[in-house]
Amino acid sequence: MSRLPKQPGERINRARTVRFTFDGKPVDGLAGDTIASALYVEGQRTFSRSFKYHRRRGLLCCAGQCPNCLVAVDGAPGVRACTEPLREGMRVEHLNASPSLERDLMAVTDAVGGPFTPPGFYYKTFIRPRRLWPLYEKVLRNAAGLGRLREKQDEREWRSEYRRRHADVLVIGGGLAGLRAALAAAEAGEDVVLADEGAEPGGRALADGRHDEARALAARAAGAGVEILSSAPALGCFDGLVAVWQGTTLHQIRARRLIFATGAIEQPLVFAGNDLPGVMLSGAVRRLISLYAVAPGTRAVVAATSDRGLEVAEALRAARVEVVAVADLRAGWTVLEAQGRKQVRAVVLGAIDGSAERRIECDLLVVSGGFAPATSLVAQAGGRTAYDARRGHFALADLPDGVEAVGAVAGEGATAPEAVPPAVSGAQRGKCFACICEDVTAKDIHLSVDEGYDSIELSKRYTTTTMGPCQGRMCQLPAVRLMAQETGQDLQSVGTTTARPPWSTVPLGALAGPTYEPAKRSAIHARHRELGARVQWAGDWRRAYDYGDPQAEALAVHESAGLIDVSTLGKLIVRGPDAAEFLDRLYPNRFSNLKPGRIRYGVLTSDAGRIMDDGTICRLDDESFYVTTTSSGAGAVEQWFAWWLADWGMRVTLTDVTQGLAAVNLAGPRAREIMGRLSELDCSNEAFAYLDGKRAAVAGVPSLILRIGFVGEVGYEIHFPAAYGHHVWDAILEAGAEHGIRPFGLEPQRILRLQKMHILVGQDTDSESTPFGAAMPWIVKLDKDEDFIGKWALEHAAEHPSETALVGFAMPDGDVPTEGAAVLDERGEPVGQVTSARHSRQLGQVIGMAWVPSPLAADGATITISDERRRLSASVLTKPFYDPEGEVLRS
Amino acid sequence: MTAFEFLEVSGDAIARSPMERQALAAGARFEVRDGWNVAVSYPANGSLTWTDMSHLRKVEVHGTHDLTPGLAAKANGSWRCPITRDRMLVLGASDADGIDVTCSLAALAICGPQAREVFARFCALDLREREMPVGGFRPGSVARTPGYVLREDDDRFLMLFGWALGEYMWTVVSDAAAPFGGVAGA
Repeated sequence: MSRLPKQPGERINRARTVRFTFDGKPVDGLAGDTIASALYVEGQRTFSRSFKYHRRRGLLCCAGQCPNCLVAVDGAPGVRACTEPLREGMRVEHLNASPSLERDLMAVTDAVGGPFTPPGFYYKTFIRPRRLWPLYEKVLRNAAGLGRLREKQDEREWRSEYRRRHADVLVIGGGLAGLRAALAAAEAGEDVVLADEGAEPGGRALADGRHDEARALAARAAGAGVEILSSAPALGCFDGLVAVWQGTTLHQIRARRLIFATGAIEQPLVFAGNDLPGVMLSGAVRRLISLYAVAPGTRAVVAATSDRGLEVAEALRAARVEVVAVADLRAGWTVLEAQGRKQVRAVVLGAIDGSAERRIECDLLVVSGGFAPATSLVAQAGGRTAYDARRGHFALADLPDGVEAVGAVAGEGATAPEAVPPAVSGAQRGKCFACICEDVTAKDIHLSVDEGYDSIELSKRYTTTTMGPCQGRMCQLPAVRLMAQETGQDLQSVGTTTARPPWSTVPLGALAGPTYEPAKRSAIHARHRELGARVQWAGDWRRAYDYGDPQAEALAVHESAGLIDVSTLGKLIVRGPDAAEFLDRLYPNRFSNLKPGRIRYGVLTSDAGRIMDDGTICRLDDESFYVTTTSSGAGAVEQWFAWWLADWGMRVTLTDVTQGLAAVNLAGPRAREIMGRLSELDCSNEAFAYLDGKRAAVAGVPSLILRIGFVGEVGYEIHFPAAYGHHVWDAILEAGAEHGIRPFGLEPQRILRLQKMHILVGQDTDSESTPFGAAMPWIVKLDKDEDFIGKWALEHAAEHPSETALVGFAMPDGDVPTEGAAVLDERGEPVGQVTSARHSRQLGQVIGMAWVPSPLAADGATITISDERRRLSASVLTKPFYDPEGEVLRS
Repeated sequence: MTAFEFLEVSGDAIARSPMERQALAAGARFEVRDGWNVAVSYPANGSLTWTDMSHLRKVEVHGTHDLTPGLAAKANGSWRCPITRDRMLVLGASDADGIDVTCSLAALAICGPQAREVFARFCALDLREREMPVGGFRPGSVARTPGYVLREDDDRFLMLFGWALGEYMWTVVSDAAAPFGGVAGA
């Protein structure tokens, strides 16, 4: 088929040929063509196979609305051929047909499958026998869907962007009304964005002879500063944010004013064979002719309900297409059936009162069932619709503040009388599709109502009408009409389904956006990588898990010295005249009597007396404290402090220095000597005792040094500006080299702390754990004069001993129980659980911690652990496995 | 040693930015300035650049101030940036009295006519001139992490964010700037 002579306003460039392939065969189109227009010129009439019955489908809307022309482009499925611009070398393939588009084996479902595939058939079949489900699943998965994703992961990945845009005005829809609204706002000095789903702004004016006006208006708008986003459908409105998808970018637009110029959507008619290739909407015909100079057929019949629909007859005649009949519903005629095997060969028109019929041979049936305002996005923005009986569609009835509608969506320009089409005509002649996306027929809706799905929302879920790629554009109104007919209700009572995003089809990758994960890394992180550390996530930090041999790393801490990066600890500066009282109110123990230069352990409890976090508190001077928290609890503790500070209004300031200070823990019997080489401090036990905090230079870097012992050996936790991370780390390793110092990671630290039975909040405790249950009654000072958070609950807990207690357990070397394994009573019933367990090379046994019934919380008691299919016996300890009296720590 | 000296970059050693390795990979040449190893040049030039400003001194000052919410004030080359009615951040002042948070907040300056478009790729703050004039200072989410943005000049935005996020943020900014021809700059 050749092109029509030059059409005024055509989009193609006749001087430039674009070559592409369709199902492997080379095809030549013109620059400016869409895939569909180029294929149509070459005689292609079937563009896809339908979802369920695998019926042939041809061009219907040519506006990116319907599912009929979905193809795969360069392996990516779900592309609409009617709007996708042609590109040189693009590889286009059909979807949902095998072995070929022409010969599709699954088309047998259309011939014989009808009785077996009523609505909801997948809820009723493929159920028994249950053992065959794996087979059914395979068959169903193979049959379902409209395309195949590319198999290799790297071929599936593509770069997508988020772009946030603020504006005074966002206009959605680039037809004449949208362009005028955008221009007016821009000329009034407002910052305006216009998002239009078309490749070129102008909307239907581009195809109905007003292209010059549309293009001039678009140029003026752009000149006035309107940012025009083309090929950019709005996906949905989300509490003031409008998502707009354009190519590889998801625009997230917030505007003070939203102007919807989304136009009206031409509706199909529901009759027998209404999905046959060759049945086209009038707008599609006009676009093919005007924009791409393509004659849509040779002999045409037009069936319409309005003057606008009938205007296509003139366009057809101008394109030298013979118009052999016109059925005007207002004159009492409509179409009953489209006939043909591969495409329309004839149509049967009928008088609406059934008094006459007429069969006419043709290759094109142009239908127009009226124009329904595209209200879905407006509804998502808070607009309300009501049924307009005169026009036979749902129209906008109410708009919230800041939301406007212009053009056809607002009912502007709809003055000519329209006829309301019947819900279905020619129903006895064959399948009449209400929803072409999901292959739902008028009969299916009848059956669903018979089964009790008699509301439009239920019917939607049961039949899946409006859930396909058109998102209700083509099927909402027909389905509502059918539902009204079946239930005897009026259309206002039936109502519409809830408008939900996405309004346009969008790849999931577009919503996922860029894949960067905010990862915190300590200032020493690069050194860990250089040392071969295994790096793992720990909360939102990347941490060195170990350096290859966690047991050996743990042993080095006992035998010489180890160095671990603990920069991830939360760190807060609490300052002010009321700082001590503030901490006294927050913690169950006292800090007002802590002397400057001394450190105390603190467990933070909630109002309910449950353990929230723990850490150390060092008093720097009378009015200043340095508080550390767990790594994962830093943010929550800072917020907790800030919350109570705001409530109490005390003279205290908080500064979070978590990321500002790097921190390392130097621990082991040689730690003191190493510290001595790095600092001028007197590190003797007398001068720098356990739980002392001192400020001094370490390797020339001003530092705060805390003598604490989480890992059970003499240890110095050194906190210093993060900018010196590498320097201090390197200096300590260098100074300790002759002493056999070794870096150790998170895993050996866990072994070491377990030997000391130091808890990990969140692992050994849960949201119900109190300090009493966690074997730390000594930390609760109920005799404090002042009230503190959780005091009331802890007083109650003190009077009602916990039924379970956290204890240590030891087992002969061998199997390490899984964390979370159950502790059983003598009847084999679960009564507790293992929270931590490790093999300790230092101790030559397996050790752990577990919650057990209080009567079993006694040294030497035996517990049974059920771990998968194993039963393990362990003995209870209530004191640390290593250095139970803390002599090593204090030495 | 003073009470909070352990927070300050004041030692004999060389202080380093959390993005030093990324700058090095981008071809930076470094010089030690005021105790910091600072990138002073890069091999590529462009109209859109991002510059590591982590060495900028930052001090958190508590107490009431006379600043307007959302607007920083510049005097003697330093910015006073309001966070709350009784808390502000002072940038670039050697004599500011407060808690030194230089190493708590890393910093990148994004400069050029396309700077706002780069921000739009990872930040939802409204940085248009009328909402964010020169001196505008906004706390908010920057690349899904808490941060601040200060408009230092028409086409120059300073972004402050957690020190530990330096490597992440460099990656995000360089990725966002790449389609606009952005390059690391000194």
